Amino acid sequence: MVRWESVSGYIQIHRRDVMYLALLVLILLLPLIVDSISTELTEFPEAWDIHLREPLDDFQRWTIRNRLTHPLFTWFFDPLSDAVDFSIRQIESVLLWLPWPVVVLTAFLLGQRAVGLRVALFSAFAMLFMGFMGLWDEGMLTLALMAVSVIIALLIGIPLGIMAARSDRFEAGLRPLLDVMQTLPAFVYLIPVLLFFGIARVPSVIATVIYALPPAIRLTNLGIRQVSPAAVEAARAFGSTGRQTLFKVQIPLALPTIIAGVNQTIMMAFGIVVIAALIGAGGLGNEVLIALQKQQVGRGFIAGMAIVFMAILLDRVSYGFSQQQTVSNAQHSHGFHLLPNSWDRFAVVRVFEQGVDLLLTSCARLSQAIAAGVATLVSAIGAAVGKREAVRDVANFLQGHAFLVSSVLLISGLLILHAFAPYGEEFPKAWVFDLGQPVDVGVEWMRDNIYQIGDTSIGTGPLSDFLLIYTLNPIRAFLQDWLSWPLVILGFAVIAYSVGGWRLAIFSAAGLFAVGLMGLWEDSMNTLSQVIVAVFITVLIAIPLGVLSARNDTVEAFLKPILDTLQTIPFFVYLIPVIILFNVGRIPGIMASVLYALPPGIRLTNLGIRQISNETMEAARAFGSTPRQTLFKVQLPLALPAIALGVNQVIMMVLAMVVVAGLVGGGGLGLLAVKGLANPMRDLGRGIEAGIAIVLIAMILDRITQTWAKNREIKGHH
Amino acid sequence: MATSESNFKVSCRKIWKIFGPHPEQVKQALKPDMSRAEILEQTGHVVAVKNVSFGVRAGETFVVMGLSGSGKSTLVRCISRLIEPTSGQIIIEGEDVTAMSEERLRLLRRRKMSMVFQHFGLFPHRKVIDNVAYGLEIQGVDRNTRFERARNVLKMVSLTGWENHYPGELSGGMQQRVGIARALAVDPEILFFDEPFSALDPLIRREMQDELLNLQKVMQKTIIFITHDFLEAVKLGDDIAIMKDGEIVQVGTPDQVILNPANDYVREFTKDVPRSRVLSARAIMKPCDVVCSENDSPEQVQSQLQTYLSPIAFVNSENGRFLGILSRAQVDRAVPTVNHTVRPLVHDNQPTVSPHTFLSDLLSIVAATDLPVPVVDSSRKLLGSVDRTAVIMALGGAVDSS
Repeated sequence: MVRWESVSGYIQIHRRDVMYLALLVLILLLPLIVDSISTELTEFPEAWDIHLREPLDDFQRWTIRNRLTHPLFTWFFDPLSDAVDFSIRQIESVLLWLPWPVVVLTAFLLGQRAVGLRVALFSAFAMLFMGFMGLWDEGMLTLALMAVSVIIALLIGIPLGIMAARSDRFEAGLRPLLDVMQTLPAFVYLIPVLLFFGIARVPSVIATVIYALPPAIRLTNLGIRQVSPAAVEAARAFGSTGRQTLFKVQIPLALPTIIAGVNQTIMMAFGIVVIAALIGAGGLGNEVLIALQKQQVGRGFIAGMAIVFMAILLDRVSYGFSQQQTVSNAQHSHGFHLLPNSWDRFAVVRVFEQGVDLLLTSCARLSQAIAAGVATLVSAIGAAVGKREAVRDVANFLQGHAFLVSSVLLISGLLILHAFAPYGEEFPKAWVFDLGQPVDVGVEWMRDNIYQIGDTSIGTGPLSDFLLIYTLNPIRAFLQDWLSWPLVILGFAVIAYSVGGWRLAIFSAAGLFAVGLMGLWEDSMNTLSQVIVAVFITVLIAIPLGVLSARNDTVEAFLKPILDTLQTIPFFVYLIPVIILFNVGRIPGIMASVLYALPPGIRLTNLGIRQISNETMEAARAFGSTPRQTLFKVQLPLALPAIALGVNQVIMMVLAMVVVAGLVGGGGLGLLAVKGLANPMRDLGRGIEAGIAIVLIAMILDRITQTWAKNREIKGHH
Repeated sequence: MATSESNFKVSCRKIWKIFGPHPEQVKQALKPDMSRAEILEQTGHVVAVKNVSFGVRAGETFVVMGLSGSGKSTLVRCISRLIEPTSGQIIIEGEDVTAMSEERLRLLRRRKMSMVFQHFGLFPHRKVIDNVAYGLEIQGVDRNTRFERARNVLKMVSLTGWENHYPGELSGGMQQRVGIARALAVDPEILFFDEPFSALDPLIRREMQDELLNLQKVMQKTIIFITHDFLEAVKLGDDIAIMKDGEIVQVGTPDQVILNPANDYVREFTKDVPRSRVLSARAIMKPCDVVCSENDSPEQVQSQLQTYLSPIAFVNSENGRFLGILSRAQVDRAVPTVNHTVRPLVHDNQPTVSPHTFLSDLLSIVAATDLPVPVVDSSRKLLGSVDRTAVIMALGGAVDSS
């Protein structure tokens, strides 16, 4: 019943859409008419430029002049800055003071505790890789920056999330702010902090904290609100105070979600800490940046690998902790520890895994024995002091946490040893080898051979030219020259109106007009043309792949690790492989955007189709639909809301990446922002203007596509 | 009125609960004959509980029965103020719960009452023992004491040995045992059961009902029990209140409700009741017309029998215990010969039944005799009598209205 009604509603919507489409076509044809009257309308009038950059630059000069005297700085920004700087230094110095084997061992133990042996070995490898590549110190600095940012973000985010969960009004106030924060490309956060904190590591941390805050708030709020009302009611019925309910019931039950928020906070923080090299944060990101600027691809590639490994480590370990469940008897997985389970037909593999298993179980036994020993010792001391009761809980805790106790003992043992006989102060220089050289050779070879294969027109070069000549340039010309600016604004307004009504139309038109008023029309249209091409390519790849993986488990299983990795990599790093393949310019930016935005497109299409109920699918089959009919008549229409949401995410991610591609010659708004960051004394005002324009375009695109996605939702469904 | 209320452990007076933005205004504007649907349409407010009053005696099991959406769950939550009633009073041991401060209310919830929930409402992150000890834990009871108490109640619900498991590892029936144990651990005087067994399989449900009856025999708590299952209500309740659209349509003992349903709505429920195993002698017995003492003379008895036009007389001993019955023929025969008392005429092998005897058991007894069967209590005090006609009519669904 519901289905048929929705289909008929669908047709009506289509009829309305046709009307808007006709209107749009009319607008597109208007230039012919307008052209005959005047040609001046194609460019946004220069006289209307409000020169926002000037007061901004004045303000920056004012901050520099008054940094030492004005109370705003001496009483607020400077102390804040000092405190942040102090904590970075402390953490960095601890990390650098720690003997490197201890750091590697800690990573191993965290991986083992969070997930298992595979992740543990990978974690140790990721740390060692930095050492071997001579990036140990840079890595420790990046880790320190990230740790400080994450700690601050959590200290602010979790309490805010708790407050939001407990007060609907507070949540309602916070929500639009968080929505906007999550819409903005990461890059944009770097610009305003420069105004108040200057260039260095402190503004990087501030920008990172702001950027990484939303998931911590959101998921804490969500986690607490998702706690079953029955459990909360039971707590109330037994006379719990609000605080008791919160700490004994709500927070413990929300913990997995809160830790998932921590995982997201860490990943977002890591992404921006890397890119914060642009404002002088240093660390691993700086290596990539230098490589991009000096075209030393090998160096950038190595640093990029180190960043990717680190990102995977951080993701798997923190995700692992969020997945740990409460079961009384720890469930042993019956699979292999190290090698794929499907290899169990080989006898050698079985024997090897048995050995690994034996090793692990003996380690577990040993750690239990150690913990029991410590617990006995504590009990004995407690008995001697006469506080048997108080000590018993401690002893119980120690016995219940054998892994923790043994790990702490092991690490402190190594540190005590270090105090008497120093070792591992620095990663041995002899072990460092330069991988940059061979990589550069490889890159040269690729440029020579893949850029154009033989004399054919196959290769990345011709592809790049094709995209440039046949898609990018025409679209840019269309937006910049063919359509006059009032028509672009009007076109957006019509689309916005058809999707979300007057308010959205006015918001979109006003936003674009403001972009023009800042004198950024040309650059914005340049950026927009890149976004359109990248989104088009992404959707063209993502939807078929999503459909394929939804209909075929093998394809899904094959894609999963690839998509997981793609989603873990900080977006900055995507720029390295694409400049290897496509040189510099607008095309590598578009390619990086496509890679970056593919995963959500594929995943949401897949999810949308897979979450269709079995019964619906059986009904389709029972009536004798062919697979194609099932796909087009049932699966795709029902998956449309999810796919629409995927398109929305693709657009937002593409925009974020296209802007960063200013670093590799993408031009447009991104270039202005990069210039502002690179030379704040001269270009910061312009950079901030570009930042505002990016924010406005991001918000317009997000609102329009998100409203559109919501409209696709079938009424009464879900 | 005041004296009768003081006999109640819990009493509700004119409880209203209206959901919506302006419940007070809606309540004022309400006409008594408006249906729920009309009110919803005209005001956008949902009347969940509509002017409900009842009293629960200490130690009794009071069942509120109604279909889903009848407001029964809202009502029970209003009593403990988990949902704030729009108006009305709830008196627990003479104290008005609706006027209590947050602090006082919390104390009441901690010490006096506890609750068992439909979907158990267990804390999935706490072991069974920590779930059971929760009520004591938040009162600040030390660990040893509360664990000892928790182990004791777990034993009462036969869950010894499951202390260190998590609720998710237990079956539904076992989880609800934990729920009951958790409610009992604080030793409350009043227990609320919100459809506690409706999420369980029929077999487990019956087992749990029997267990609750056994527990209640020992505990003698005041229980307010919510259910949508009429048979469960009849089985467990000392008194039953039947709710429809937020109102109580009938309150009474199970027998009263079955034998005298207030309207067709209630009658519909009683149709499925296996009467022979629910109705008892008490429900259908009639008062004895002629009751005489063993010291009376046959003449005295004869004149009484004539007055009442009764075929038999019931004879009590001097101290008020039931001795046996005399038929009119026996008395008539005795009048000329015996000149002292009727005592020697009475045989003490007369079958009697207890007021709790179910109709199924009564059937064979009334089948064996043409005479009415006396109903006596445990001290052999005569309460009334049942005859064959009354049993057959009750089984058929009709009640002798005399």
